[in-house]
Amino acid sequence: MNKDFDAHNADYKGWFKVQDWLIDKLSRTEGALIPIQPENMKKWPKAEKDYQLFLENASRLMIRFKKPERLIKMIVNIIDEQLGITHTAVLLYKEAGNAFILIDSKGEDGVKIPVGFIRMTFDNPLVKIFNERKNYVISENGVLVYKELSSLLANKETLAKHKDLGGLVELSLRQMDLLKANICLPLYYKKNLIGILILGDKVTKQEFTRQEIGFFMTLANDAAMAISNAQLIQNLQERIEEIKDLYTKEHHVFIHTAVALAAAIDARDPYTHGHTERVTGYCMSVAGELDGIPEAKAYRNFKETLHIAALLHDVGKIGIPDAILNKKAKLTKKEFEKIKEHPTIGAAILTPIKELGDVVKEIKYHQERYDGKGYPEGLKGNQIPLIARIIAVCDTFDAITSDRPYRKRKMTKVAIQELHDGTGSQFDPIAVSAFLLAFEKGKISNKK
Amino acid sequence: MGKILIVDDEIDVCDFVKYFFEERNYRVFTALNSDEALTLLRREKPHIVLLDVRMAGTDGIETLKKIRNFDKKVTVIMVTAVDDHSRMEEAAKLGAARYITKPLVLENLEAVVLSHMKGIGNE
Repeated sequence: MNKDFDAHNADYKGWFKVQDWLIDKLSRTEGALIPIQPENMKKWPKAEKDYQLFLENASRLMIRFKKPERLIKMIVNIIDEQLGITHTAVLLYKEAGNAFILIDSKGEDGVKIPVGFIRMTFDNPLVKIFNERKNYVISENGVLVYKELSSLLANKETLAKHKDLGGLVELSLRQMDLLKANICLPLYYKKNLIGILILGDKVTKQEFTRQEIGFFMTLANDAAMAISNAQLIQNLQERIEEIKDLYTKEHHVFIHTAVALAAAIDARDPYTHGHTERVTGYCMSVAGELDGIPEAKAYRNFKETLHIAALLHDVGKIGIPDAILNKKAKLTKKEFEKIKEHPTIGAAILTPIKELGDVVKEIKYHQERYDGKGYPEGLKGNQIPLIARIIAVCDTFDAITSDRPYRKRKMTKVAIQELHDGTGSQFDPIAVSAFLLAFEKGKISNKK
Repeated sequence: MGKILIVDDEIDVCDFVKYFFEERNYRVFTALNSDEALTLLRREKPHIVLLDVRMAGTDGIETLKKIRNFDKKVTVIMVTAVDDHSRMEEAAKLGAARYITKPLVLENLEAVVLSHMKGIGNE
């Protein structure tokens, strides 16, 4: 394998560990703190490099969160922990309710807006400005700053030029009063407003500088990107779960159909009553011993294919007349030739069912012998697929230990001896030894 | 001065709504449960009660019943989640003035309280 790919993978796993740790920390203590640089806590960064450091830390943390709500909690946490702002809140657009809902908030008691307590609809002035992008006059860079809005409202000249603006500015200021917001930032993803970041005042009561506002814009952009990614991943995961559910449901129907079909085959033949069920049981016990071998791994789904193949291995007996199937006397050569058609008939019946693609050849070859003297094609050794070789052993074991129209059943001990004797001639040694292993463990139960 | 009693088992909600209305020159009391609410109601005689429907222990509807046992008149505004709307008929029968739905629009919270205060004539 490619070395770089491995290195990349290892790195990726490392990230995952860190993320798990963070998620664990966050989920155990509601609103846990994530100290990135404890010495800087509650201190407003002073130098350009402090912002840079904060942003780098923040974006590095952001990409590790896969759940949008957790991610938002983390963003709110680091702002609250490190930047000394009275309160921080993030609202996110929710389709149910067609509004922006407060997802997380932190800050001083009473100033902090309770989680889930407020919503903003599309007639909210802030949402209006962000959504309709009327901000080119109100705010050239897309951010709403209380101080700037106030001076705009005092600027009669600009307001005269944009007559519809005055009302909106006034409403926005009032809205920011209600929220005790100093700065409101839009979170855009591909030009869609997905959320709003609300920031209170600096604890120091100083005004935010241009540089600081620029810093928040970068932070908001990073956050919007990370939140959107997390939302996309979440949607995808939900979709995958839906598909899995659907598959499971269909799959149950499918297995039940196979079981019903197998029961129908058994019902026709009173002498082999329960045969399919027992053979399927033996096969699954044998599968437990063979799970890890390469030939089993080569199947897309070894156990399941074996399960269905075992259930349906005698489906071709539908095409054999009752007179032959239930005959008490020894079969004539012609009758036996007819019986020998059942694997081919079974395969022909199932071939049109696309979902049974893997199963058909197993059914077709379950009467082949390891030494090539079986039917229908006289395949030899590993030419016979593994599952067919397993069914052959289990099928024979049940036949020996069951009553037949033409003879009484034999002891289990005798049957085991026959398997031993047939190893390498009639039977695949691997299939037999797996069967014997399962038998010794008490997993082969042939109670009638 | 208008007096408001806030009843909610979430302390963040109590704090926020308390400061919110104190800034608007109301006197505000907060209760985290039914018992506290009844005590404050007797002692402070608020004009308006903002009562959360979904509370641990005695819920909003039960608390409203208890309030009505000794105060038939006080204005009670229920604060509900969308899923609690079916219970608002019961609240109305018990004389709740109206309800507002969480998550709420802040202006509405202010407007609702203001309009009822005016009706009371205590402003």
